[in-house]
Amino acid sequence: MKVKIKEWNAIATWRWNMPDDEVCGICRVQFDGTCPTCKFPGDDCSLLLGKCGHSFHMHCLLTWIQQESSKGLCPMCRQKFEWKQNDE
Amino acid sequence: MKEHLPPGIAIAKSENLEEWQMDIQVLDDNPLYRGQTYRLKFTFGSKYPIEPPEVQFIQSAAPDPRPIPIHPHIYSNGIICLDLLSSAGWSPVQTVESVCMSIQSMLTANSRDERPPGDADFVSYNRRRPRDINFFYDDDNV
Repeated sequence: MKVKIKEWNAIATWRWNMPDDEVCGICRVQFDGTCPTCKFPGDDCSLLLGKCGHSFHMHCLLTWIQQESSKGLCPMCRQKFEWKQNDE
Repeated sequence: MKEHLPPGIAIAKSENLEEWQMDIQVLDDNPLYRGQTYRLKFTFGSKYPIEPPEVQFIQSAAPDPRPIPIHPHIYSNGIICLDLLSSAGWSPVQTVESVCMSIQSMLTANSRDERPPGDADFVSYNRRRPRDINFFYDDDNV
């Protein structure tokens, strides 16, 4: 018997490569969820990994860094916040 | 949050996201604070936690007395001079719990039975909100 596939739908799941229960230290929502201003998780609401080892939702961290009082420092360790490039 | 609060810290009111009240106690045997419970009022603006909440002690009379703790950085109207509550010292990873713990340890560590210098004047004339006051952090020892 020959089976002819007429149509198929691919389904995939994804998650950030982060420990299961870790939350963004600023908004306290899980990294797999969104920052408080976004509706859908994913590339449009991505994470920023700091060279200091601390990570946040990109939008949460940018809101903080744009404050003059942040002085560009990581909210967690108060070192200058510099993000890791993908290949680091 | 309720289930795993540190000892001596309890939620008194948290019905909305504008204002919370927390009860704190000093657990060691510091004679200045022994047996007392103090009430902190947190007021959150729309930019919390990017901007700090306004935090001060509030007073109430018997049967549920909540005095204003004596401390060289706490004015008798409940306003607290604490770096981490100012825009310059605040970090958005602070939480209600971490702020309560800092204030609790600020009391624990204190042995001076004093109000800040100029307390009487400050309390009669101040009409500003705590975060608009430029405190001088001239004494890091308490």
